[in-house]
Parts: sequence; structure tokens; C-alpha cells
Amino acid sequence: MQAFYTMLQFLLPGLGVTISVTAIALCMGCCIGALMAVMRVYGGLVAKAIAVCYSMVVRAVPVVVLIFILFFVISEFVDLSPFMSGAIALGFASGAYQTEIFRGALLSIPQGQMVAARGIGMSRAKAIRCIILPQAFRVAIPSLINEVSLVLKDSSLVFVIGVPELMRRAQYASASTMEPLLAFGTAAFFYIMMTLFVSKLLEAVEKRFAISF
Amino acid sequence: MKEFLAYAKMALPDLLQGTVVTLELTAGALLIGLAIGLPLSLMRVYGGRLIQPLCTAYLTVFRGTPLLVQLFVVYYGLPEIGVAFSRMTAAFLTLGCNSGAYQCEYFRGAIQAVSTGQMQAARGIGMSRLQGIRHIILPQALRLVIPAWSNEFIAMVKYTAIVFLIAVPDLMSKAKILSSQNFAPIQTYVLVAMIYLVLVGALGLMLHVVQQKLAVPGLDFGMDKR
Amino acid sequence: MPLPVLRIEKLCKSFGNTAVITDVSFDVIPSEVIVVIGSSGTGKSTMLQCINLLLRPTSGRIFLEEKEITAPGVNQDNVRRQMGMVFQEFNLFNHLTVLGNVTIGMVKVSGIPAKQAKEKALQELERVGMAEHCEKYPAQLSGGQKQRVGIARALGMDPKVMLFDEPTSALDPELTGEVLAVMQKLAAEGMTMIIVSHEMGFAREVADRVIFMENGTIEEQGIPDQIFSTPRSERTRKFLSVIRPGKSV
Ligand SMILES: Nc1ncnc2c1ncn2[C@@H]1O[C@H](COP(=O)(O)OP(=O)(O)O)[C@@H](O)[C@H]1O
Ligand SMILES: [Mg+2]
Repeated sequence: MQAFYTMLQFLLPGLGVTISVTAIALCMGCCIGALMAVMRVYGGLVAKAIAVCYSMVVRAVPVVVLIFILFFVISEFVDLSPFMSGAIALGFASGAYQTEIFRGALLSIPQGQMVAARGIGMSRAKAIRCIILPQAFRVAIPSLINEVSLVLKDSSLVFVIGVPELMRRAQYASASTMEPLLAFGTAAFFYIMMTLFVSKLLEAVEKRFAISF
Repeated sequence: MKEFLAYAKMALPDLLQGTVVTLELTAGALLIGLAIGLPLSLMRVYGGRLIQPLCTAYLTVFRGTPLLVQLFVVYYGLPEIGVAFSRMTAAFLTLGCNSGAYQCEYFRGAIQAVSTGQMQAARGIGMSRLQGIRHIILPQALRLVIPAWSNEFIAMVKYTAIVFLIAVPDLMSKAKILSSQNFAPIQTYVLVAMIYLVLVGALGLMLHVVQQKLAVPGLDFGMDKR
Repeated sequence: MPLPVLRIEKLCKSFGNTAVITDVSFDVIPSEVIVVIGSSGTGKSTMLQCINLLLRPTSGRIFLEEKEITAPGVNQDNVRRQMGMVFQEFNLFNHLTVLGNVTIGMVKVSGIPAKQAKEKALQELERVGMAEHCEKYPAQLSGGQKQRVGIARALGMDPKVMLFDEPTSALDPELTGEVLAVMQKLAAEGMTMIIVSHEMGFAREVADRVIFMENGTIEEQGIPDQIFSTPRSERTRKFLSVIRPGKSV
């Protein structure tokens, strides 16, 4: 028990890094996803093609591969920390999945909303921004929360480029204490706590939504 | 571009060797996952109260932690308590148990999507519960699960990409070696990405054909999941 | 007086603390057609499901041809095989063709060889006028056709008694006729049937006896003419006054 407690404390900084990487990736993915989804649903031919290619290619490639590619590409041009490279790579990956989430949400908004918005004199862009997107966002919330735990788990992969997140800390610990089961088990414990928290959040939100819709 | 093509030509044989291992891992993991997930889903839906906590624990652990953690616990952690596996076995086992948890949820969803009236009607013509599950519920659930299961298939191809971290000689593993030998990480990983793209595309096409072949009128509503 | 096919004695059923069926007793003699009427939620479905043991009665006894089927140790699957059940929602097996729906019970439950089962199934389908649709899947049929297949499926098991739970309630009005016609034909052929239905015209024409259920028990029963023309119970009268003959509620 004492050993577990010590391990918890040792891994704690890694937890902070894991959460930060996840948060940055999610925000970035959200921006990319929303933009790509709008391009996909409302855009012209070129915009549509870009959005389709991005989502299809990124979702077909393992996240580790994306992390490696972006890490090396980024370091060709700018001097970014592995932390930032990793976060960007995860955001880039999550963006593709969020594109699909937002696309589904956009398509679920009845056509009449756009017609009505144009009817009161809004431009197409304004209608999308002020009428369609806010509604789509609400529809997407459950899937977005689910995306949080997916990215949380994927964030363990930035381990491969040396970001000192949970897994990396656990590996140090495992090497120095010679107790890999305890080290990785404790890391697993952290992840389970976080994903359980997210799924409880999801339940709560879905309950709220069941009433308000 | 020319450089890239030349490099690709040089690297491809090695990478394809790794790809074979990747596909073997995918197939093995899916089968192990099927062997775990299907019975588990039946327990979840039809099982008594006593085994539910066990199922829940299994699902929480395997769905609630990254695959990477699972892999390291199995390969590095378990030997500490005297359970040691070879790299390959550890990879198959971890991927399989992980897939089992996800497949369980897909099967459960499909079983529950078959209406309760079906079981009632089965019992009504004198079938036992077990016969009802076997002849009426499962044949329908297995068709309903195909879209989700196809997704799991494709996801599994991508999930296997982390086993290089315990030095299983898969596609990524070969890539890592090539990349450091030739100081060409970007070319290598772009090439790897392209291989995955082709794999996933081809599998997607294949599974689509299978889906069409197995379609039954009225039983083809999709249950798409990531 | 012939021996009853089915005898129900003091049947009670509760879910938790709520009693849904209380003290229901009646006999069914061979070839008798009983139509059960009553407003929704009074436990008609629950009663039918207790009779073929889809639900376990809380108390009371049920006899099928003088054998107590509620006794401990009775093979319930075997009991259900001997009673045909037709559902409001049809519940056809969606993954099987019309023919498959009728044969699967014969093959998997009764152990009849596939070839023989197919012949018999086609006969039963002929009886309900669905033989030419035998290769179709349920999703390709209309509601009335589905229900006729549901009836053929039950008939295939050679039941001693047929139980119908609102067989036409889920159908569009123009489709009820074909199903009622099949049931009428079965009655004429001497099939023993218990039918929960809101089709008063049908009840009047085909039933040997009408049972009016209220609050989980039998409020009144008798021959159709008596029930429909001179109901003894105030409640029966009230119920009938809100239902026009031949219309479903
Ligand atoms: N499984 C069940 N658990 C609890 N209550 C039930 C269940 N099935 C039926 N009931 C209740 O029993 C009553 C009778 O239902 P039912 O037999 O379906 O009536 P009817 O078929 O006459 O409309 C209803 O009030 C219903 O809510
Ligand atoms: Mg009912």
C-alpha cells in the first residue's frame, strides 16, 4: 500500500502532462473538426474534397504514425518541444474524428433552420455561424465527451517521442524500482479513474439532454 | 519526388515483411477478441447477477486504459508475478483481450437491438432459452453487428501499430529500423502511412462486399461506431 | 360433456406487489372459440402468457388435457410447443424467410426432418393463403401477410389450442379482414382458440363464448348474443357502449 502511494506521487506530474496534452489536442481538434465539417457540408467542390481527404487519410493511419510524421516534419522547420509536437499531432488526429462528429451533427439539423435564417436576411456564412453551428454543437456534445476519453487514451502514444507524460513517468519508475507491474498498474489506475470520470460526466449530460430536448 | 520513389523501392520489401506480421496480429487479435467478446456479451445480456461485476470489471479495465498500458502491464509487469510471455504472445494476448472488450459491447448492442418479441415468439413455439438464443437471437444479432465489427477490424489494423514498442517485428518496427539506418524518418513514416492507407482502404472495400453478400431484407440497418 | 382441452383454476399473477390477474378460472372444451374482451391494461395479455407459461403464474393451476402443466417438474418448453401463440406485433423471425419461420420450430423443436417439415409448412402456408410468398422475408410483407405467417408458424407445431393476443390491433383497418378470415376458417375447421380481440363483429359471429375481463378478473362471460345484447354487469354495458361493433378501439 505504501509502495502504491509512493508510486502515485511519483506519477502525479505525468498526470498533469497527460491532461495538458489531451486538453490542447482536444481544443485544436475541435477547431479543425468544426471547420472541416462546415467545409464538408456547406463548402464548394474544393473545400469538400479537402475535408474528405483529410478525414479519410488521417483516420486510416495509426495515431503513432501521425505522431512520428508530425514530430519529424515539425522539427524540420521549427524548434518545438516534444510536448507541443505531440499535442499538435494528437490534435491533428482528433480533428479528423471530430470532423465526423460535427458532420453528423450538422446533418441532423433540419433544413428549415437554414431557410429560416436566410429568410430573416442572414448571409449563408452568418446563418452557419449563428444558427446552425450552435445547434450542431449541442447535438455533438455527447460524442465530444466520448472523444475526450479517446484522446486521453491516445495521449499515451506521445510516449514514443519522449513527452514526460504518465506512461513515460511509469517507465522511469519501472526501470528505477524494478517493479514494472506496480508502475504500469498505477498508470492504468490513473487512466481508469479519468475515463470513469468522463463516462460519469457523459451519463450526467445525457440525462440532462434527455429532459431538455 | 524521385528520391522518395527510389527510397520507397529500397524500403518496400522490408516494410511489406512487417505488414504481413501486422496482418497476422490483426487476424489473431480479432479471433481472440471474438472468442472473448461473444460469450462475454451473452453473459452480459442473459447472465445472472453474480457474474455482472466480473464482466463490468473486465470491460472497465480494457476499455478504460490505453492499449499501450495494457501491453506494458502484460509484457513487462506480469513477469514480476511469474507470468511471462514471449513478445509475440504478449502482443496477441493484449490486442485480443482488448478487442474482446470492445467486441463484447458491439455484440451486446446487437443482441439488445433484436426485439424482445423475438425471444417470446421463440419460446412460444416451444424453444428453450438456449435454443432461442442460438437459432433466433444470435443469427440476427450477428448480422446486425457486421458494420460495428467491420469497424473493429479496421481499427485493429491501426491498433497493432504500437507493438513495435515491445519489439514485435511488425510494419512499424521495420519502419523504425529503416528510418534510423537511412536517417530518413519522414520518408519512411509517410511510406508507412501510405501502406496503412492502402490496407485500410482495401479492407474497407472487402468488408463492404461481405456486408452486401450477407444482407437480409429488413436486417441491414447499420450501427456505425468509430 | 367432453373433457376440457384447457382448465384454468384460480389463476393469479402479480408483478412484485401489484396483482395483475386475480382468481381467474374457466374451462375450454375442444373446438371451442373463446373471445376475451376488456379495456387495455386489464391483464388480458398477462393471462394468455400465463396460460402458455411464458409467464410463471403466481398461484393457481392450469391443466392441459387433464395434465397439470403448472406442477413442478413439468417441461415448460414442451407445454408451449403444444399451444400456438400469435402476437399483436407478429414477432416473425426477421432473419428467416416465410418458409423458414414456419419450419424452424418443426425442425429444431419437434425434430422433424427438414424435407418433411418443408412439405408440412407449405400446407400450413396454403391454409393461410401465403404459400406463394414462401421465399420472401418478413420485411417484404404487409402487416396482414405477416400475421397470417405468424398463424401458420403456430399451426405448424400442431397445437392443441391456439392463443391469439390482439392479432389485428397492429394492422391498418383494411388489412384486418384477411386475418380475421383465416381465424374464422380455423374456427370452422374445429380449432380450439382463445382470442383476445377488440373486433366485436368478429366476436359476435365466430365466438362460442365471450369473456369480459376487468381489473384482472372475469367480470362476466356468456354466449355472444347474451353478452352483447343483454349484459348483466354494469361494467360490461359501459365497456360495450364505448365500442361500436366491428371497430377496434
Ligand atoms: N412485466 C411486467 N411487470 C410489471 N407490470 C406489468 C408487466 N407486464 C404487464 N404489467 C402490467 O400489468 C397490467 C396488465 O397488462 P396487460 O396484460 O398487458 O394488459 P392488456 O393486455 O389487457 O392490455 C398493466 O397494468 C401492465 O402495466
Ligand atoms: Mg395486451
